[in-house]
Amino acid sequence: MKFAFTEDQLLFRDTVRDFLAAECGPAQVRECAAGEGRSPARWAKLVEMGLTGLTVPEAQGGLGLSLVDGVLIVEEAGRAALPEPLVDQIAIAAPLLAAFADRTDVAEILAGIAAGTVKLAAGHPLDPFVADAGDADYLLLGREDALHLVPRGRVTVTAEVSVDPLRRIAAVDWTPGNDTLLSADPAILDRMLDLGGLAAAAQGLGLAQTMVDLAADYARTRQQFGKAIGSFQAVKHHLATVQVAIEFARAPVYKAAFTLAPRDISHARVAVIDAAAAAARTAIQVFGAMGYTYEVDLHFFMKRAWALAGVWGDRHYHLARLSRMVLSDDAALGADGTFADK
Amino acid sequence: MKLSFSAEDEAFRAEISGWMADHLTGPFARLKNRGGPGDEHAFFEERRAWERHMGKAGWIGVGWPTSAGGRGAPLSHQVIFYEEYARAGGPGRVGHIGEGLAGPTIVAFGSEDQKRRFLPGILSGDDLWCQGYSEPNAGSDLANVRTRARLVGDRWVIDGQKVWTSLAHVSDWCFVIARTEDGSSGHRGLSYLLVPMNQKGITVRPIQQMTGTSEFNEVFFDGAETAAENIVGKPGEGWKVAMGTLAFERGASTLGQQMAFRNQLDEIIAIAKANGRAKDPVMRQRLAEAWIGLQIMRANALRMLSQAGNPELPREAYVSKLYWATWHRDLGKLAMDVLGPEADVFPGEPGTYELTALQQLFLFTRSDTIYAGTNEIQRNIIAERALGMPREARA
Ligand SMILES: Cc1cc2nc3c(=O)[nH]c(=O)nc-3n(C[C@H](O)[C@H](O)[C@H](O)COP(=O)(O)OP(=O)(O)OC[C@H]3O[C@@H](n4cnc5c(N)ncnc54)[C@H](O)[C@@H]3O)c2cc1C
Repeated sequence: MKFAFTEDQLLFRDTVRDFLAAECGPAQVRECAAGEGRSPARWAKLVEMGLTGLTVPEAQGGLGLSLVDGVLIVEEAGRAALPEPLVDQIAIAAPLLAAFADRTDVAEILAGIAAGTVKLAAGHPLDPFVADAGDADYLLLGREDALHLVPRGRVTVTAEVSVDPLRRIAAVDWTPGNDTLLSADPAILDRMLDLGGLAAAAQGLGLAQTMVDLAADYARTRQQFGKAIGSFQAVKHHLATVQVAIEFARAPVYKAAFTLAPRDISHARVAVIDAAAAAARTAIQVFGAMGYTYEVDLHFFMKRAWALAGVWGDRHYHLARLSRMVLSDDAALGADGTFADK
Repeated sequence: MKLSFSAEDEAFRAEISGWMADHLTGPFARLKNRGGPGDEHAFFEERRAWERHMGKAGWIGVGWPTSAGGRGAPLSHQVIFYEEYARAGGPGRVGHIGEGLAGPTIVAFGSEDQKRRFLPGILSGDDLWCQGYSEPNAGSDLANVRTRARLVGDRWVIDGQKVWTSLAHVSDWCFVIARTEDGSSGHRGLSYLLVPMNQKGITVRPIQQMTGTSEFNEVFFDGAETAAENIVGKPGEGWKVAMGTLAFERGASTLGQQMAFRNQLDEIIAIAKANGRAKDPVMRQRLAEAWIGLQIMRANALRMLSQAGNPELPREAYVSKLYWATWHRDLGKLAMDVLGPEADVFPGEPGTYELTALQQLFLFTRSDTIYAGTNEIQRNIIAERALGMPREARA
């Protein structure tokens, strides 16, 4: 047993982190929010780095990596509040489509994702809106227990406004057909929800860490009463408490990426939603009135975390699902229940 | 002890509720429930007219002494006034800083001339006020004020900067704490000046809030002037007067605030019942806990106000800001959790940034634990003043 990432996985993560620090810093996120909302130039670079094909099978020109590799990258996308829909490609669309790569049309789409020529959006029936639906070439949409792969031209998209100024959401109107059906496996939509939930959790982890980092930086420099406010124990303890919550959310997220077990995903989801909410509340508090402004970057991360907390099953949903599993009559007990993967 | 209302109280209730029913109509009808915290920008001019309308009818300064032009209403009437104002959906008051802070400060510390000069404008709803305390380097450490004022002939000349000044962009007057003794530091050498806002020496720059709108501002003083007599208290007594104002912030107006809280909680409960979240045991408990918190605040406020007139603020006065701010911040989160996924979508057209009332509540309540003394500062005050613990070491 070894619950740790490899050197290579961590190195890759660091490369992506450095890239996003240079290309998607808070100032660039702010610029994006004030302008077009998406940066085609940054997207091209993400494609060039091979990131869109991270989880696309090698046969379709991707890197063929797993979600254990992917989770670290998704966390970085969260840390940077990346506006472009990279996460939906690597953590939702490609893993779902990969199971159907023997279909030539699906194989072509996967190759397109890796090459950066095709973008997908994904929407679960639980969520009323789909992120980045307008820009997508294909949409993965659920209806009555079946998953459909729907070309953009067959979908009417009505834009809505998200609390996150950089999130683009829309209601989608479409009619399923035999030609759009991807899978009628009764478990397929649960799998989609799990992938979406994991993606949201991993991003939330990154977002929470950024909020704490921003607040800790501020606490080191902001002076009141002739001292850095970070020297006041009240401020220190606030931030330390949130860091504990983040660390204890991190392990379940990584575990969930490995097992992809619904139980672990729900656990990760609840832990991250709570940690991110605490991070937002605390970071604003540490920033004082500054934290309540649009002019300080913090709110971009807070609003992304807020928006992500509501999709792919919110806290309420995952806690209810988890309690059903934990309290069911055939739930594993004792040591079996602690370490079993299923 | 008596917790009920008398027949005379009930007659007063009929008077105010009748007045609200008759007057919050016609052009004012659309102001119902608008303009509260987070929504300050809504229908501003119309709310300004409403403020004047209230002033004409004598509904500003209900709790002020009659000698100052108020109604001198007893506590029970003030409670009733705020209850009925909130029940009717009375709009957020544009004059609350004048009525709640500037006015009472002038009543307590001002000269007779100042009372004659400034109180009528507040009572009529004509003059709006803002609070010029905070500066970039004087937030929690308010005594670190650097804005300077010099007496030149018959005028104070003011240079410096204030920040987070709520409603400065629409105010006629500002009460400013400025350093009037060269070389002084900390609480000493400060003075409390009343400064007209519409003048060349003052520049107001709005600060955008995370709600996308602007309620507070940066205010730059560049040779701004006010008449020599517009000082409350003596030169150097500014700190004492400023602290007096802060005490009013914890006064009767909290009753009105609690009624607004009550309306918000009722709305959240109604939504939870309608969308099924009220069936969830966790939500049920959080809603019940919110109700308990509200009852605690109300009982505490009534107990505190029943002792009004005591020169020393009782312990429960120290704890109330901390309690309501934290409770309200939690309520904002509870509202979002009750709404579920719906909470994440703004109601406007793409390209706009409009919030629903509950989204405004959520975002605005992020700041409740910051303004009027942060939670951390409140805890320090409770520990040091109520519990007599040693003061924190300062650099
Ligand atoms: C919505 C809103 C409206 C406002 N309106 C006005 C207004 O009209 N007029 C006006 O003058 N001001 C106004 N303010 C400013 C308000 O009074 C200040 O924000 C407040 O005093 C805190 O100061 P600060 O923001 O500079 O935070 P800071 O003082 O920089 O505090 C930052 C963090 O450090 C903590 N901290 C600081 N000192 C200590 C300590 N000794 N021990 C432990 N922790 C500490 C704080 O609690 C906080 O968490 C408003 C603020 C807001 C948010």
